[in-house]
Amino acid sequence: TRHLHFSKFIGKPEYDLLVIGGGSGGLACAKEAAQFGRKVAVLDYVEPSPPGTKWGLGGTCVNVGCIPKKLMHQAALLGSALKDAQHYGWNIAHPVHHNWSEMAQAVQNYVKSLNWGHRIQLQDKKVKYFNVKGSFSDPHTIRGLTKGGKETILTAEKIVIATGGRPKYPIHVAGALEYGITSDDLFWLKESPGKTLVVGASYISLECAGFLTGIGLDTTVMMRSIPLRGFDQQMASLVTEYMESYGTKFLKKCIPTKVEKLESNRLQVTWKNTDSGTEETDSFDTVMWAVGRAPDTKALNLETVGVKTNSETGKIIVDAREATSVPHIYAVGDITEGRPELTPTAIAAGKLLAQRLFGQSSELMDYDNVPTTVFTPLEYGCVGLSEEKAVQCYGSDNIEVYHAYYKPLEFTVAERDATQCYMKMVCLREREQRILGLHFIGPNAGEVIQGFALGIKCGATYPQLMKTIGIHPTCAEEITKLHITKRSGLDATVTGC
Amino acid sequence: MSPPLLPSQLFLCYFTLFVVTLFFWGPDKVRRGLWDMLMYRSPAWSSQGVPAGPKKPPSELLGLQITLLCLGAVLSRAMAAAAYELLVLGGGSGGLAGARRAAELGARVALVEPHRLGGTCVNVGCVPKKVMWNAAVHAEFIHDHPDYGFETSGVRFNWRTIKEKRDAYVRRLNEIYENNLNKARIDIIHGYGKFTADPEPTIEVNGKKYTAPHILIATGGFPSVPPDSEVPGASLGITSDGFFELEELPRRSVIVGAGYIAVEIAGILSTLGSKSSLLIRRDKVLRTFDSLISTNCTQELENTGVEVWKHSRVQAVTKSPSGLLEVTVMSSAPGHKPTMEVIRDVDCLLWAVGREPNSKDLCLDRVGVEVDARGHVVVDKFQNTSRKGVYAVGDVCGRALLTPVAIAAGRKLAIRLFGGQRDAHLDYSNIPTVVFSHPPIGTVGLTEDEAIFAHGKDNVKIYTTSFTPLYHAVTQRKVKCVMKLVCAGKEEKVVGLHMQGLGCDEMLQGFAVAIKMGATKADFDNTVAIHPTSAEELVTMR
Repeated sequence: TRHLHFSKFIGKPEYDLLVIGGGSGGLACAKEAAQFGRKVAVLDYVEPSPPGTKWGLGGTCVNVGCIPKKLMHQAALLGSALKDAQHYGWNIAHPVHHNWSEMAQAVQNYVKSLNWGHRIQLQDKKVKYFNVKGSFSDPHTIRGLTKGGKETILTAEKIVIATGGRPKYPIHVAGALEYGITSDDLFWLKESPGKTLVVGASYISLECAGFLTGIGLDTTVMMRSIPLRGFDQQMASLVTEYMESYGTKFLKKCIPTKVEKLESNRLQVTWKNTDSGTEETDSFDTVMWAVGRAPDTKALNLETVGVKTNSETGKIIVDAREATSVPHIYAVGDITEGRPELTPTAIAAGKLLAQRLFGQSSELMDYDNVPTTVFTPLEYGCVGLSEEKAVQCYGSDNIEVYHAYYKPLEFTVAERDATQCYMKMVCLREREQRILGLHFIGPNAGEVIQGFALGIKCGATYPQLMKTIGIHPTCAEEITKLHITKRSGLDATVTGC
Repeated sequence: MSPPLLPSQLFLCYFTLFVVTLFFWGPDKVRRGLWDMLMYRSPAWSSQGVPAGPKKPPSELLGLQITLLCLGAVLSRAMAAAAYELLVLGGGSGGLAGARRAAELGARVALVEPHRLGGTCVNVGCVPKKVMWNAAVHAEFIHDHPDYGFETSGVRFNWRTIKEKRDAYVRRLNEIYENNLNKARIDIIHGYGKFTADPEPTIEVNGKKYTAPHILIATGGFPSVPPDSEVPGASLGITSDGFFELEELPRRSVIVGAGYIAVEIAGILSTLGSKSSLLIRRDKVLRTFDSLISTNCTQELENTGVEVWKHSRVQAVTKSPSGLLEVTVMSSAPGHKPTMEVIRDVDCLLWAVGREPNSKDLCLDRVGVEVDARGHVVVDKFQNTSRKGVYAVGDVCGRALLTPVAIAAGRKLAIRLFGGQRDAHLDYSNIPTVVFSHPPIGTVGLTEDEAIFAHGKDNVKIYTTSFTPLYHAVTQRKVKCVMKLVCAGKEEKVVGLHMQGLGCDEMLQGFAVAIKMGATKADFDNTVAIHPTSAEELVTMR
């Protein structure tokens, strides 16, 4: 077959490695491969979103994901800080107005600086960059098309697909595509989205609704079933509970049926309340869909070369080495089936892949104990198994759950409600009590959970955690003081130091 | 749960029961004798000549018998109150933790405290300090608000508001601690306890003596002030204790010292708007910390507007007629002629030049408890002092002056004494520490210098990084984050972690767990990052 593949060109392919997709995984893989002195090229092309938003190099994370999301989350935290500040002796004239354009401009400028930074990095590492849309014309040949329709043909020994995913539209909902936006557009809006309906119960939905509420917008989340599917459900309900007390409105068990544009230019949304069976309606300035993400594998022309995908999800099927069904073609990141859709896993997988391909390494990416954080108004960080999953794997008699409701010191003086500040650690019940999962809701959850993820990766046990001296006064120290088990039924509220 | 009875209490109970039994069912002679004793007469069995009393005690005496029974019970209860198994001197972090854990394990405990419960941490330390730090962090947020799109104007800071709230919170904690002790049935003895010269270690409080087989010294420490003989007018200054009594934000502050307390207070005062000078004897603050931290922290203090006077000492302090202080400072940088300058109009001179143990007035010499030259109680790894049955934990021992250390040491001791774990003791290695500077510092394990000293230069590998946290991506105010991993040996075991930057306070704890477990650089590398955080930089260092 090798002979057949090379039939279309004479001699050696032009590149050692060709990466399709300049996002987190693709760039990491390309740069790492170049470190080994290989000839590497990256193809990146952003198909504009239905409302016409487009952006530069760097993929979802940089342009329409983690980075702008976290910055807008920070803005929202500052919005809450304004309220806390009064209690800390700061007199601030109210009401405080938030200027969306100002914030968005700052965020967009920063993102553009990152786009630029990525291009410079590729140059420095001697990775060739093509702003073209790539598709397979044969197993070693990629046909690239520029915006203007100009064609480039590139050949490579090995090819990595890392084109990620894009938000889905509910095509069955009339007016959804015509009037709705997605997270691809939200961060690039020049004007405030105003009163917003966010449809979906994923972390993207809750994060966006959270920061919109935090900067003072009238925000509603519509969800069909449970929030944060796949996450620990006790934690998930605490996250949404807090959001409700924070001012985000929730339309639960509701399914949108149509979106219409009113004369006032507002959007009228109609939905079905599956609880009451009634049809309800309200008008919004913006409707954002956060109903899931899907890869765009069709455009890659994968059938031609025989790269297998999951027919349901459209994602590429890979093995532990990130190899597809075609030996020299690999895939990393959001486009791969069954992998977490997270920047750090894509980066790590991309790097390790390059090391295996060109650096005589055999180290595989370990997808266990991947920590993650949901940046909702009250952040939720976790690593390892959810309680449900642990029960399912080991049985409820064989696990011990330590938990605590705690009050962050910064909440006390600010008289903030800490009802949802909660943490739990899921351990095996046997003598060693190895930690299976850790879940933390509270301020700075991302910063708190990272180190514990390292400990858990090292196989930490409950007694080992207890041996570590706390850092006083912090929220993180409460984890090292966990001692009430769920089984005991005792009150898990932390009192005093 | 009520504590089990002591042997003495048990004896009393049985004795009462025995006497009562005799009274009812014993031989007539004995019953009569007892009756006589109850009636204040010589017992029948001691004097043959006295006519015999009634054959049987009259039945109306039943009431009296019951009285006797009650009396016995009350007596035994009172005895129990006095017979302690553990006496704790000091109601701070270490004392409270030790007392409560001992009580949980069934010991009868009394705690002696002259002031409010909670000790340094709750009243004049960590807790009110962090509250003030939070207030100062808001000042930084307010600075950043416009960059994040918030249109604020006419922002003013009112010190009294935060002081009132802070005091109220501290009072609430005092109450919580008192309730906790009451719930644990620990007796609180209000007063100043000192040892007596009795043969068995005994404590005297307000003229009353208490003793127990186990006595724990947890009296903490206090901030030192140079004597007026050394620095004339030094007593015109305050200390961190006085900082928490300030009713207004000082306009002009001078903080003396280079330790973490000096750094924290200078940061808070300056950030809240007081013009602040920090006088240090050498060229950097936090000189016992890793060089990365001491250099960076000194820099950050200057960046945030603190005037750092290096190689400087206070020569004299005088009070001007206006009531403000004039602080004469001598600066003598190496290779330069010493210069003398006067800082005028100072309304807050604060000494943060170290802490001393509260041991002097305890009369430790009477029980032979050894102290070092600075007055710290000398203890072994089990917190034993040189006198059997007397122990010490916390700041009074002068080692790792941190609340969680005192708490852990107090609990371990209680477990050793009353929980049957004879080997229980605190491991003092890898204690994580946070300094609430601006931005905060987190550190655990060995500094680079310490690691080189311990492992040799060739066996130490250092990883460092410096970056601007994402929060500052859109702000005009830029504060970088610096991090250092100190690794030792071929396997690159991480023996030290040092960092300063936004979020480092909450970041450290989990890493401290891993470092205590012996995590290597490879373990760090194998941990998936959380994006976007600052903490992820620690697992992606090259």
